[in-house]
Amino acid sequence: MMNQTQTTGALTIKLIVLAIGALLLFAPFLFQDVRSLEVAARICIFIVLVASYDLLIGYTGIVSFAHTMFFGFGAYGAAILLKGMGPGWIPVILGALAGVGVSLVFAIAIGLLSLRVKAIFFAMITLAAASVVLVLVSQMSGLTGGEDGITYKAPDLFKPATKLLTDDEGKVVRLWDVRLNGKLAAYYFVFATSLILFLLMLRFTTSPLGTVLKAIRENEQRAEAIGYRVVAYRTFVFCLSATMASLAGTIYAVWLKYTGPDTALSFAIMIDILLMVVIGGMGTMWGAVIGAVLLVLAQYYLRDLMGAASEAMAGIPVLPNLLAADRWLFWLGIIFILLVYFFPKGIAGTAMDKGAAK
Amino acid sequence: MSDPSLVTQDLTIRFGGHVAVNSVSCAFRPGELTVIVGPNGAGKTTYFNLISGQLAATSGKVIKDGTDITALSPSARARHGIGRAFQLTNLFPQLSVFENIRLAVQAHSGEGWRMLRPVSHFRALSEKAEHYLEATRLTKLAHQTAANLPHGDQRKLEVALLMAMEPDIYMFDEPTAGMSLDHAPDVLDLIAGIKADKTKTVLLVEHKMDVVRALADRIIVLHNGELLADGAPQEVMSSQIVRDVYLGTSEGVA
Repeated sequence: MMNQTQTTGALTIKLIVLAIGALLLFAPFLFQDVRSLEVAARICIFIVLVASYDLLIGYTGIVSFAHTMFFGFGAYGAAILLKGMGPGWIPVILGALAGVGVSLVFAIAIGLLSLRVKAIFFAMITLAAASVVLVLVSQMSGLTGGEDGITYKAPDLFKPATKLLTDDEGKVVRLWDVRLNGKLAAYYFVFATSLILFLLMLRFTTSPLGTVLKAIRENEQRAEAIGYRVVAYRTFVFCLSATMASLAGTIYAVWLKYTGPDTALSFAIMIDILLMVVIGGMGTMWGAVIGAVLLVLAQYYLRDLMGAASEAMAGIPVLPNLLAADRWLFWLGIIFILLVYFFPKGIAGTAMDKGAAK
Repeated sequence: MSDPSLVTQDLTIRFGGHVAVNSVSCAFRPGELTVIVGPNGAGKTTYFNLISGQLAATSGKVIKDGTDITALSPSARARHGIGRAFQLTNLFPQLSVFENIRLAVQAHSGEGWRMLRPVSHFRALSEKAEHYLEATRLTKLAHQTAANLPHGDQRKLEVALLMAMEPDIYMFDEPTAGMSLDHAPDVLDLIAGIKADKTKTVLLVEHKMDVVRALADRIIVLHNGELLADGAPQEVMSSQIVRDVYLGTSEGVA
């Protein structure tokens, strides 16, 4: 129904997202090395994290800087319990619930205290809350491991030594040269849970609730005037988004088998989320997928790519220096500026406006 | 005469030292169309804002069907059946015409919290939205983005949002302002249709005297925030006090 959803650009974006989904589904078979699988899992989790942030910033127009805080609650919930109770599914489930519980308490408190104030004050309050939590986590080292974080074991199913299928000789079965072991199970756990959470959020955005969120973004005062309790909706979506971020955190903690401030709480992650949602395009959900893929790939491979380019240019003056691997952040910055210039509404947002509506 | 559906009792708002609406007491009944007139700055829109809740009264009460709603938020008042169209176009700019109207239908249906089924599965919402598209002759523009509509059509959409709320009290704030001559009759027909229903209470702020003559059952005059006159159209229009307010007294400035 929306004028944007039926353009050729929108179709292209959806096909791209579908292709990304297929690549992620077959990632362990297509890219058979440890680092690629790491990248694929990180992409899955960041898609969920960025999509949940898009519910806030893109759909409802709420700017929050506390999104990694919720991600961290989910990660630390699972990490602390996996460390304390030993590997198993019960600590994962309890950890997820605990993470969601703590996230909801914070989200409701922040929401009720401050969703009535102007956007900029709300953003400041979330920033303050996130900073306090970051400091607390690094101070309470007895519980959280402080700056060092926590290392623990994932449920037995995910141990690399676990054999999902064995042949007659008791060796692990290989499918297209890939061992069907615990590492594979762990990846598909990440993929499946991320897919479910993403599809759930996609569902929310097309539901009646999703239309109310867009109405609040477009014209809060009129949404109130036609009968929507704006404060209640805003608080609810803040809680919903926090819950999703927290679950993403739990998944990440199970995958990494390590949780520390750098992987789950730092402001660098918050900046990554912001970049991903801006690059991908706000208020589309598809943008979360594209943004997460591009930025994670750039973070992992731009360096390598530039190193290779630099070597290839050896002998030519200046260029090898300019392309040296160490300058990858500089080039990432330039790419980012160009993307924002040429895709002011993000890649998905701008592309979906293109092409005649059918 | 039927019981009043809406009453304002000594309704007052002060902005610092300025009293924008001063102790206005007035009762409105179902089936009655009241036109509110008064020069610019008389407090007509402010009076509307006090009734629909965009502004909080300094003192006095707003009573809907016997319930005191003075302390309620605008959304709660809307759910109590008070609907309001705005003088300055106040839409959801980046959404389509259809989506704008469906939002108003949905607010009234109470289904805004449903989150697991796509909105397109709620047939009743779409059908009602289509009904109001038809009623306001916006069907052809259904998939246009609201912000891209010409001014006249935006005004019609503004009215369509109010209709789709299906309130008991309809408040129109200069619905034909800035509209071309071929658009204005559409909107006036809609208002006449609501009036013909005989169960709705209609409040209309309007300057155009031919409109006032055609629609009004009753006219109230606001001047400097005070209720200056209240009565049948003929009576009010011919009264000396209204002539003075509108035409100026000793200065004779029109």
